[in-house]
Amino acid sequence: MKKELLEVGYAVPRQDARAKVTGEEKYALDHYPENLLWAGAKRAGVAHGRILEIDFAAAEALPGVFAVLTRKDVPGTNRQGIVHKDQPVLAGERVRHRGDPVALVLAENREVLAQALSLIRVEIEPLPAVFDPEEALKPDAPRIHERGNLLLHAKIEKGKAEEAFSECAVVVVETFEAPCQEHCFLETENGVAWQEPDGKIVMIVSTQAPFRDRFEIAHALGLEAGSIRIISPYLGGAFGGKDGATVQCLLALAALHAQGRPVKMWWEREESFAAGYKRHAARMYYRAGARADGTLHALQCRLYYDSGAYAHLGGEVLELGMEHAGGPYRIPHTDIEGWCVYTNNPIGGAMRGFGVCQVSFAFERVMDLLAAKLGLDPLDFRLKNALQRGDRNCTGVTLVHSTGIVPCLEALKRHALWTGREKWKLSAGPFKKRGAGLAAVFNAMGYGRGLPDSAVAKVEFTPEGRFRIYSGVPDMGQGNATAFLQIAGEILCQDASRLELIQPDTERCLPAGSSSAGRTTYTFGNALIRACREMKAKLCHRAALVLMADEERGFALLPGKVRHLPSGRDVDLDFLARLLPEADRSSVGQTVMPVSQDVPDTGKGFIIGFPHVFFSYAAHLAYVEIDELTGKIEVREYLAVTEGGRVINPQGFEQQVHGAVAQGIGYALMEQVALDQGQILNPNFADYLLPTSLDVPDIVSVSVETVEPTGPFGMKGIGEVGANAPVPAIAGAVEDAIGVRLTRSPFTGGRVLSMLEETP
Amino acid sequence: MKNVFLPHSLADLWRHWENEPAAAVYAGGTDLFVKMRSGAINPPSLICLERIEELKGAEEKGDFIRIGSCATHAHLLENSLVRKHLPVLVQAIKVLGSPAVRNMGTIGGNLCAASPAGDTLPPLYALDAEVELRRQDDSRRLAVKDFLVGPGQTLIGQGEILAAVWARKADGYNLHHYEKVGQRKALAISVVSLASLVRLSSAGVVENVRLAWGSVGPTIVMCPEAEKALIGKRLTLETLRKAAVYARQAVSPISDLRADAGYRRTLAGNLLLRLLACS
Repeated sequence: MKKELLEVGYAVPRQDARAKVTGEEKYALDHYPENLLWAGAKRAGVAHGRILEIDFAAAEALPGVFAVLTRKDVPGTNRQGIVHKDQPVLAGERVRHRGDPVALVLAENREVLAQALSLIRVEIEPLPAVFDPEEALKPDAPRIHERGNLLLHAKIEKGKAEEAFSECAVVVVETFEAPCQEHCFLETENGVAWQEPDGKIVMIVSTQAPFRDRFEIAHALGLEAGSIRIISPYLGGAFGGKDGATVQCLLALAALHAQGRPVKMWWEREESFAAGYKRHAARMYYRAGARADGTLHALQCRLYYDSGAYAHLGGEVLELGMEHAGGPYRIPHTDIEGWCVYTNNPIGGAMRGFGVCQVSFAFERVMDLLAAKLGLDPLDFRLKNALQRGDRNCTGVTLVHSTGIVPCLEALKRHALWTGREKWKLSAGPFKKRGAGLAAVFNAMGYGRGLPDSAVAKVEFTPEGRFRIYSGVPDMGQGNATAFLQIAGEILCQDASRLELIQPDTERCLPAGSSSAGRTTYTFGNALIRACREMKAKLCHRAALVLMADEERGFALLPGKVRHLPSGRDVDLDFLARLLPEADRSSVGQTVMPVSQDVPDTGKGFIIGFPHVFFSYAAHLAYVEIDELTGKIEVREYLAVTEGGRVINPQGFEQQVHGAVAQGIGYALMEQVALDQGQILNPNFADYLLPTSLDVPDIVSVSVETVEPTGPFGMKGIGEVGANAPVPAIAGAVEDAIGVRLTRSPFTGGRVLSMLEETP
Repeated sequence: MKNVFLPHSLADLWRHWENEPAAAVYAGGTDLFVKMRSGAINPPSLICLERIEELKGAEEKGDFIRIGSCATHAHLLENSLVRKHLPVLVQAIKVLGSPAVRNMGTIGGNLCAASPAGDTLPPLYALDAEVELRRQDDSRRLAVKDFLVGPGQTLIGQGEILAAVWARKADGYNLHHYEKVGQRKALAISVVSLASLVRLSSAGVVENVRLAWGSVGPTIVMCPEAEKALIGKRLTLETLRKAAVYARQAVSPISDLRADAGYRRTLAGNLLLRLLACS
């Protein structure tokens, strides 16, 4: 390997890039152990019903079929789930959405598997179904779960909102709707698992949460978590969709019945659509008021999130939505109420922007509408009300950590794209109209109260004199592995040739939580800093012993050696490596993310995760051009100003911003899981449209580098915040251009044109 | 697993086909493989035409450009004859699929797939193109508009292949325009498309015009009333609006996942107005 400096603060190329591009790096998908069996699920195909009979005699009799499993073959609770355990591994009596698995087939190859699945006959008596969260809350709605259709209901109240509205000079009322969005990771859900002779289950799986997976599988199948080993290679994308069991429980079940043979499960794209998790569709009723001087005064929201058939993280997604419902602003009086509701739709779950993406659409449009009513510049109006350190946010939590929305808005205000927008708007061609739109957003980092956000990092000094970092959190493509190497390289002062990183393996690495919630580099990074510092101190101490130095002072860890600076004498790491016994080769560091110390007396309905205390911020500006003949929106220029503390890797930072904006532009313009009676009408990439490179403009990314003193080298996570702004920024730009107010996304040509025609 | 036969000449093709009459014949496979994967069709074996030299390239034949059916879209984009004489076809191919699809897909395949959304179809209608159909001992020519009879339906017979497309040179027109409205800028199935050929006099008066719409009916839609409304007139907003009324009457769009019928009907007229911006 070429000697390459790994330090914090500059654009180190992704350390996994070469191995991925050459195909050397193995994703979970690339594992084909010898003698493997293929597993596949028979899915219900009915949105809600009672299972009368599953006839699999013909499938079982098919040559090449190893086993057909149904509910009665599932040991344990048969219930998976992260917080709420309500999702059957294999449905036995009821199916609650079309993607529910009712049987699991193990076969010698994929052809036989497909044939066997088609031979299984499932008789399901349909039950009345419900597909809208508000409908599902009505007393006469079909009951989907024993406990009813309400997964979670909560209120966040601060001040006296109802009275405060009478004190407002302007009030706006609007309803917003955002649909289900699919993650569309390249590598669909998959894994391979086998049972060892001692009974242990080993699984190589595309997952964001290897350590938690063990408990989810153990609970569902009645196993010991300690008897499950999860290996989590680099993921080919996830965006939240692999946070929580996808194939895990089915695969473990298959492994239990495979007589030691490895079993592989790999969902086709259509199956990934049908059975995978989605961004929650949401309906949001907003009412907001400001005083004559332009101060925000009161906010009332009623939020309905569609959880689909099961909970997954629906309650927690709603929690985050509610916590961010007021935007990054000071609002003295808030009344935020939310419902996360079961329906017979596909399952809602975690996705980048975790509940925040939806409310961002609403609160940022409301800010524009209030500014217009007050006759204020939308940017100045935001700046005037923007949160600063020491303020209480819309839930009542005092912001004691870095709070950078003001510097984001100020940087945007100075940028040429902001100052030049009016001029740009004037030069639209025939049948074109141009507009500029703004959005200020934020996104919490970490799990919040009630679920310690902790990580344990281990660094090993190998007999070859190299440093091996045992990562406990997967890299799903966001680049945290490179950040970890930079952190280690910075502290240990080593180049790339002496550093290596092991992707999570629950048997070799230490628990470090999930790759999610913008917490991956923050929390694991802090643990890693401690482990590396301890390693550095250890090596200086051991070098002092070798050199018979009187004290440890004056030693420096340098590339390949330890130097005693006062005497100029060196101890080579290679030499030291041969000297150290096994027991003395590793260091461990651990950390827990700080939590809010002033817990407001509200939000009692939340089970975990309320409140958060760290947030990243962003201010975005979109230039759009609308074709008056077609209604089509084209995003022509895009500026994203982001505050995430100090930046460990400017290239990784920019890539995260670009990716988040592209995903947000897709959600704004075209992405929508089209549903009819719980059936996905576009379960493939011909019909579910993602933006292509031609649909996404060059994105200018500006980092406002504040410092988050609790973060590793001053950083905070910024992987999610950028996805929250494109929908409102683009909607705002459209209204600026043609006066059309879009309150439902996506903003398709048809929708825009029909509204244009209605506009006088 | 399926057998795929790759003949290098027409003679090879006929010989093999006789033995496997149920084989599916294809060129780029960009349409066929999608249908096979979805399970919509399951032919016993495949015959691929892409290596038959006689079916490639483009040549000048009097008033026509004869394009081999297995010429890929990417090839046609670069072909000097096509670029010179058939600019409206080039414009359509530029927005067809993606570079990968254009490298694989062929003009013959686009015609035989017979989708009303096929991007080369409206230009070929506007260009009065004909197809050359061949069987072992026979060949015939048919106007494209007669060849295509419905969505996915053509008059191609059993044992017959589409060998070439004869497109009339558009040298007499001085405004060549293709516009496709898709849900995104690439890899998109057209929601509505319009191919326009206009001959404007030096004074800006329409002397001749050909218009053909895609995705607004079972096959490509032409509208002589709209054409008539433009002839002898200047391309003003008012004139185009009048013609647009006829266009909206002529189309019979459906609602599907991509767009509803109302939007398609509106667009069919609106796209005509674009000629104002191109003229």
